[in-house]
Amino acid sequence: MTKTIVVTSGKGGVGKTTTSASIATGLARRGFKTVVIDFDVGLRNLDLIMGCERRVVYDLVNLVNQESSLHQTLIKDKRLENLYILPASQTRDKDALTIEGIARVMHKLRKNDFDYIICDSPAGIEKGAKMALYFADEAIVTTNPEVSSVRDSDRILGILQSESKRSKMNEEPVKEHLMITRYNPGRVRDGQMLSVDDIVDLLAIPLLGIIPESSTVLESSNAGRPVILDEQSEAGQAYSDAIDRLLGEERPHRFMDVRKKGILKRLFG
Amino acid sequence: MPWSPILASDKAVEMKGGMYAFMSLRLHSMDLDAIERDLAEKVQQAPGFFKDTPVVVDLSALEAAAEGDAGGSAAFDGEALVERIRRTGLVPIVASTGDKSSPFAAAVSLPLVEGGARRSTEAEDRAAQEGAAASPAPRARSDGQDRAGFAAERVEYVVRTPMLVDRPVRSGQQLYARDTDLVVVGQVGPGAEVIADNNIHVYGPLRGRALCGVSGNTDARIFCQSLEAELVSVAGHFRMLETVPEALRGRPAKIFLDQERLTIEPL
Repeated sequence: MTKTIVVTSGKGGVGKTTTSASIATGLARRGFKTVVIDFDVGLRNLDLIMGCERRVVYDLVNLVNQESSLHQTLIKDKRLENLYILPASQTRDKDALTIEGIARVMHKLRKNDFDYIICDSPAGIEKGAKMALYFADEAIVTTNPEVSSVRDSDRILGILQSESKRSKMNEEPVKEHLMITRYNPGRVRDGQMLSVDDIVDLLAIPLLGIIPESSTVLESSNAGRPVILDEQSEAGQAYSDAIDRLLGEERPHRFMDVRKKGILKRLFG
Repeated sequence: MPWSPILASDKAVEMKGGMYAFMSLRLHSMDLDAIERDLAEKVQQAPGFFKDTPVVVDLSALEAAAEGDAGGSAAFDGEALVERIRRTGLVPIVASTGDKSSPFAAAVSLPLVEGGARRSTEAEDRAAQEGAAASPAPRARSDGQDRAGFAAERVEYVVRTPMLVDRPVRSGQQLYARDTDLVVVGQVGPGAEVIADNNIHVYGPLRGRALCGVSGNTDARIFCQSLEAELVSVAGHFRMLETVPEALRGRPAKIFLDQERLTIEPL
């Protein structure tokens, strides 16, 4: 059974693509045949984060328009056997996508025995975002600990309930997960950021993971290497925990508390 | 400032269909003195209830009784009838007739509606009238009148099941329970809007906007488990959270109109 997961948020710049890349990589590392699709037509980014930007020949729009085959279009990841990337087109816009065309792509992927299809949604609540979430079985709603991001996430949750295929066909609703990114316990303590409890209370969906704010995330992105592969980093470990939870395991949430300062830092501020 | 909850239209007025429950005053006699006496008696039982209450003057029983009797309507003084009814404190607004061309309909100085639904009871009424003179025939209707007050059984209530939503109402979503209650089992998020013609119940935090009684029902109320709403409104009287005392926020509350004043009380 192929599972389709959309990574969405409403708001831009909260970490959707970073999360998509790490979730897809994490699932592939556990042995699942996984493809990650960039739905941000016109603002192609996922290939950069995945480090395959020089290998893009065909893209999602070609595939939707039946100008290329699935085999030609999918980019195979160089690090992991089971991981494929389906890049967005940089020269087109969201109007190039149609539900029928995407349905055809999804069908082909299912026929090719993919276990997971990760859909990296563009920001906003317009056509591109609606296309990305239409076929979703599950949704990872990415949120930063600040009010505007939380409100936009609430909005996108409403759209998931009304615009997804599952809602339109009256099937079991899309399973929702909350991913809090750029979490900084120190700033939460100082009242500059919303706490995990605040966010969970506001959105009322189960918490999949808390990714601490960290410079390694940016470094990994620039290096074209999903941060989940950086096992030394807290962000990488937090994504790894999230994969476990996505697969149904229990994992305590980490990186929620302010780290105690070492003796030197305490002495010298 | 008057404030309209649904800002979809820039027009000052809107034509809308609507169902309203009115008392109807069915006439069984043309004797104005008798009518006024009986009415005054009823009104005395509950003067507050009947004061300025609009009523529909139902002529169909008279029309049915006079059927086949061309001179039957000659003694009917429609103008005086309306005046007598007004004297008791009731406000006749419209006359209901089985036949708009009947002499009774022509005699009253009220707008006419055709009371088609009444037809089925005409035979029953005739029987009742005849029975009243002859023997105490079963008269469930008049028993009801005695118990519940004048013509109370004429008020037709349509029971409508509330609109039930058992998941959170998200930002940007708008729910409208037409002619009924809205029950939300879950939270109403900031930026969400819940609207009802009757009461709103939120079993969770109310963080968005809640507008009850939007069609003018001033008895509608809002109940919530945690009042954090951006705005609450009852029949167009609204308040923003900013003007709600701190002590009432984040706690269970009921919101209602107390003589045109929007009132918030802890539950």
